Amino acid sequence: MSKYALFLGCTTPVKVPQYELASRWVCKYFGIELIDIEEFTCCGINQVNLSIEAGLLMAAMNLALAEARGLDILTLCAACTGALAEAIEKLKDETIRNNVNEKLRDVGLEYKGKTKVRHISRVLYEEVGVERIKQKIKKDLSALRIAPHYGCHYLKPKSVFAGFEEPDNPKTLHELISAAGARPVKYETLGLCCGGKVSPVSEDLSRALVRKKLDNLADKEIDAMVLQCQTCYLMYSDQQKEINEEYAKQYNLPVLLYPQLLGLALGADPVKDLGLNLHSVSPEKILSKVI
Amino acid sequence: MNKAKKTVEFKETISISEFDPGFKSDVLTHPDARGLNACFSCGTCSAGCPIHEVFPDYNPKKLAKMVRLGMRKEVLSSPHIWYCATCRNCVERCPQNVEFFSILNVLKNMAAKEGYAPAAWVKQTKHVMETGIVFAKEDSWVKKREALSLRPLKEYADKIRRIVEKTGIDKINPRVNSK
Repeated sequence: MSKYALFLGCTTPVKVPQYELASRWVCKYFGIELIDIEEFTCCGINQVNLSIEAGLLMAAMNLALAEARGLDILTLCAACTGALAEAIEKLKDETIRNNVNEKLRDVGLEYKGKTKVRHISRVLYEEVGVERIKQKIKKDLSALRIAPHYGCHYLKPKSVFAGFEEPDNPKTLHELISAAGARPVKYETLGLCCGGKVSPVSEDLSRALVRKKLDNLADKEIDAMVLQCQTCYLMYSDQQKEINEEYAKQYNLPVLLYPQLLGLALGADPVKDLGLNLHSVSPEKILSKVI
Repeated sequence: MNKAKKTVEFKETISISEFDPGFKSDVLTHPDARGLNACFSCGTCSAGCPIHEVFPDYNPKKLAKMVRLGMRKEVLSSPHIWYCATCRNCVERCPQNVEFFSILNVLKNMAAKEGYAPAAWVKQTKHVMETGIVFAKEDSWVKKREALSLRPLKEYADKIRRIVEKTGIDKINPRVNSK
């Protein structure tokens, strides 16, 4: 089928490798070939804080590395997706592109504007398609009530993702969850940001955002949150323990990455193929509901 | 007639003479900030901002106004400009298509050059220059990947260091006592 350069980003491979594991398994299952480019580095999204120019150069370098191999990029992280896709838009401007290429030339690279970027969920939605996913389902997930969480950079800026998603009323992850046989649940704070990008500067602020969503989900009888970005995962899953201690709460909500949910439905091994044993909040109670 | 006239003291009044009329022009020289002149202070940015909701002192509308008034020092030294969660609601909802998120990045870049960068971002940049990613190498994740039979990660910082150094990002020092 299709072939992509796999862009791991910074956080997934070192902090949430189960996301990488499950993504590789799901892509292999659907015949999506993933090529590893070892020279890929950080996408530059956080460097924009200190230097917009440096951030753009970093994104452009990664794009150029994929382009040199004639490949489009498949991302796992919502923020990398946004950063790279936005860089592609910026680099359509000839003056900006020439400036960037002048610097890239020193390391033997050039970005011509051919390489595209697609997040794994979007590839599953647009290339594999919900119908084909439905046909492959082996396990019954219909007992699972799932809260979807999209990730801000998966939806915005609208100027970059227009025609794919509507930031204030997104639907593709809901459809993907349904395609896997589980039940996406409506909730008020669907669009609320996880706060991951403010967390290095202020944990208080990021935690306040995380608490708002967890509080909102508390009375919805949710079995798990399903999301598509490792930073959102770390915020909602890893922070539950601290929030429970600090605010006398009893959150125990499993958080899964979408390829893990899909993998479960496709009959993958929960531990060996999907790394579900590595989660900060154990998803054991939902595994018992998968028939 | 019997009412005593109230005297109001404006202790914190800021004198307009302290403003820097060139500040807005300096911000506008960066193409990413070009929408600023279209802002009519409607506050839609603040209304949709998740950080403003949990911490009202962080106020995009107010910051935009302060830039337009020329409050250079107050804006660039403010810790608030680093509190954006980058969700971009302000950009998507602005009726004037002002990209406050992008203006804020321009302000952060200017503040960083003046010594106000949070240590967290400076540290991440240092790691990128060393390992190619925002973290320093740790044995624990090397082992974790081995256990999952995932390919070993190599450190490829050479190219990124060479091109990024040209921007001066590696010369930025963190704000004293910042997180």
